[in-house]
Amino acid sequence: MGLALITLWILSVIVFLAGQLLPGDPGRAILGPLAEQRAVTTLDHQLGVDKPLITQYWNWLTGILHGDLGTSYTYQQPIRPFITTALWNSLKLAAVAFLMCVPLAILAGVLAALNVGSWKDRSISVVGLSALALPEFVSGVFLAIIFGIWLNVLPLDATPPPGASPATVVYHLILPAIPLTLVLFGYIMRMARAGTVAALEADYTRTAVLKGLPRSTVVRRHVLRNSLLPTITVVATQVGYLIGGLVVVENMFHYQGIGALVFTAANSKDFPMLEAGVLTIGVVYLLATLVADISYTLLNPRLRLGGAE
Amino acid sequence: MDRNSEKLDQLRTGRSELENHVIDEFLTGHISRREFLRRGSIVGISIPVLSGILAACGGANSSSSSSSSSSTAGSAPKAGGTLRIAGVVPAAAINPLTVADEGGLTMLCQTGEFLVFDDPTTFLVKPMLATSWKANGDGSVWTFTLRPNVKFSNGQTMTSKDVVYSFKQQSDPKNASNALSVFTGLLTPSGVSAPDDHTVEFKLEAPTGNFPWLISSDNYNMIIVPDGTDFSTWEKTFIGTGPFILTKYTAKVGATFHKNPNWWGGQVLPDTLQHIFYPTQQPQILALQSGSVDIVNLIVLQGAQAIFNNPDYNILVNHSSQHRQLSMRCDKAPFTDKRVRQAMALTLNRPEIIKALFQQYGQLGNDSPFAPIFPSTDKSVPQRHEDIAMAKQLMSDAGQSGGFSTDLYTEVYQEIPQYAQIIKQAGAQIGININLHVESQTAYYGKATYGNSDWLDGAMSLVDYGHRGVPNVFLNAPLTSAGTWNAAHFKNPTYDSLYKQYVAAVDLSTQRQLAGKIQRLLLDETPLIIAYFFDGLSATKKAVSGAVTTAMGQIFLSGAGTV
Repeated sequence: MGLALITLWILSVIVFLAGQLLPGDPGRAILGPLAEQRAVTTLDHQLGVDKPLITQYWNWLTGILHGDLGTSYTYQQPIRPFITTALWNSLKLAAVAFLMCVPLAILAGVLAALNVGSWKDRSISVVGLSALALPEFVSGVFLAIIFGIWLNVLPLDATPPPGASPATVVYHLILPAIPLTLVLFGYIMRMARAGTVAALEADYTRTAVLKGLPRSTVVRRHVLRNSLLPTITVVATQVGYLIGGLVVVENMFHYQGIGALVFTAANSKDFPMLEAGVLTIGVVYLLATLVADISYTLLNPRLRLGGAE
Repeated sequence: MDRNSEKLDQLRTGRSELENHVIDEFLTGHISRREFLRRGSIVGISIPVLSGILAACGGANSSSSSSSSSSTAGSAPKAGGTLRIAGVVPAAAINPLTVADEGGLTMLCQTGEFLVFDDPTTFLVKPMLATSWKANGDGSVWTFTLRPNVKFSNGQTMTSKDVVYSFKQQSDPKNASNALSVFTGLLTPSGVSAPDDHTVEFKLEAPTGNFPWLISSDNYNMIIVPDGTDFSTWEKTFIGTGPFILTKYTAKVGATFHKNPNWWGGQVLPDTLQHIFYPTQQPQILALQSGSVDIVNLIVLQGAQAIFNNPDYNILVNHSSQHRQLSMRCDKAPFTDKRVRQAMALTLNRPEIIKALFQQYGQLGNDSPFAPIFPSTDKSVPQRHEDIAMAKQLMSDAGQSGGFSTDLYTEVYQEIPQYAQIIKQAGAQIGININLHVESQTAYYGKATYGNSDWLDGAMSLVDYGHRGVPNVFLNAPLTSAGTWNAAHFKNPTYDSLYKQYVAAVDLSTQRQLAGKIQRLLLDETPLIIAYFFDGLSATKKAVSGAVTTAMGQIFLSGAGTV
């Protein structure tokens, strides 16, 4: 817990200092490059960004320790609603992408490993690697044109109408989730395949086969439980990307996620929004790692029981 | 022309010196009928009087502008229903003082209105919240009569008090007002007064014949709000006098409006407007194609080719003065020699550049900010064309026959990166090796002051300029010796003097004469290359009609709907 807080504090300092390196100032970002300098100076003063850096940081830090995320420089509104809405949206999109991708990728990886060297293995690997090499903004455009315009079967707008049912929400998220699925599929599938191949070659698997267990039981009880452990870690590390790194997909499918929120905040030097956004992504990332560690422990009796020796 | 002198005399009686001057210019053939309508409307001659003068001069039944309406399309729209408009995300809070971006100014004009309206289809300034206006003899004092019985959306009646408050706040240097870029040197808070409830008087810092333009919808911040309004919280109510009333505004997401049943302008066709904000153009175009929106407010050709020349969509075209300025540092070798600057300008094949970047939606530029749409532009100034042989000769005369390397700084914005590539290739033809630095807008503009901005400090710099109804801003900040955006570092006393005379000139023939001198001087000195002006474009579904858009991003929808 203490380590996590220190990590977050260091993150906040880095973001704050990095933010100062960005060119321009908030007043200029709001009023535009062609505004009168005195208007910019007045606005900077009203926003308080002409105060010394340390004062600005201290004000922000004391605010956040009291649970106040502050007020956005650009939008002149409290930051909390922006962050909660964007985070909730990002979590929904990430969940849909995960549900579409993870089972499919693990299944494909295991299938490939069980048929190492066969045409099935090669086909799955080629498809996975091709999808991995295709950036989401390229596949996104193709998918949008095919499913959103030509076939018109999936909505292009990832934001559902107000008051939509959970099913409608998911329906609107399918199209943006496909490019993410494509990117993650190759990665997770490769890990699942490698883990399964290693587990299949392990002594305990040979023992299980030799003692006469059916192949399906060997795979389910002995191979998968071991082979999926590294995959869980990989999946957890992708959470950061899925929550905070989807600027292009969020923009393309008109979705108010936290990635796009942080990106605009950095562009307009909206420091309180930037800090709150990055820290939120940091917290989510730490939580995801924690969940991965716990799952790892639960699946791995050696860790759960304090070592195998 | 066949004149009815008696009728003319009647119509001229009681007109101010300035108004009679415009009439004289028309009668002596110095300005065309269209320019007479435009100019007459600026100095405050009402449309019926303008029509009467035209009729007295043998031009009856032709008082309406001959300009083809480009912003409205198709037949009469039906009342009712919802219009869905794709626009860009406002870059900041919707505060009428500070709004400076396309998304924000689109929001302002949904409920806010101006004293006068710069009609993009006719280029006339038309009455909006003011019904008429008059200037004194030299154009230093302007008096506006307000429309009676106009109500704000909170039910309060609009009076001169509200107008005075709005102008005092916007012109106060103590406020962070974006309109100061127009009002500095023109209007101070003490110059605004209200002789009675329906009259507002402006005493200007310097005479100007273009004043109504400078407070028209062109000056997009200048909406009229109730006396005492707290601008920082205006976003919560959007109180204005316009055809729509705010239902809900959600920052970064969108806004909905419902029609104002008490609007002074009569029936409002759409029941509801739903503005949806998008961060970039691509999803806007996709949304139009998939039928999720009816209108895309402002588009550029790049990336939107799919809907051009497609019968399913209307493209609304507004000719404009928006352009790009390629500056060359006149104070840094080798651009200190004007022959080098001229040589660079001669390398550009302008018609081909326009075709490549804008298809038919652009007009030739002649290295001065005088766009073809300005009536004061002197069209007799010879157009500069590509001439590589002459360019090489000029380079040789300047001792640069071996060529040189230089840096060009520019921004990622619309077609600019492609245009920068074209410039690089053009320069290479005469041995100028241009190193491109294409930066984000924030990095490029920097602090927007000398010494702190690639825009203003680069040896060559390519920057965007948006539409303005009059060229005053383009002529001042980027070109005068004391100009704050003088990226070319051009200092020329003759130019400075011509500029001052141009701004002070209140009649069109003098303005045009001075414009001709400025255009020739800039063509010779070439501190800037302005290769093109381009149109403001919007798109609607085929079935949508009656939308009025401007090249700046304003959209007026009281008369819009599906047919």
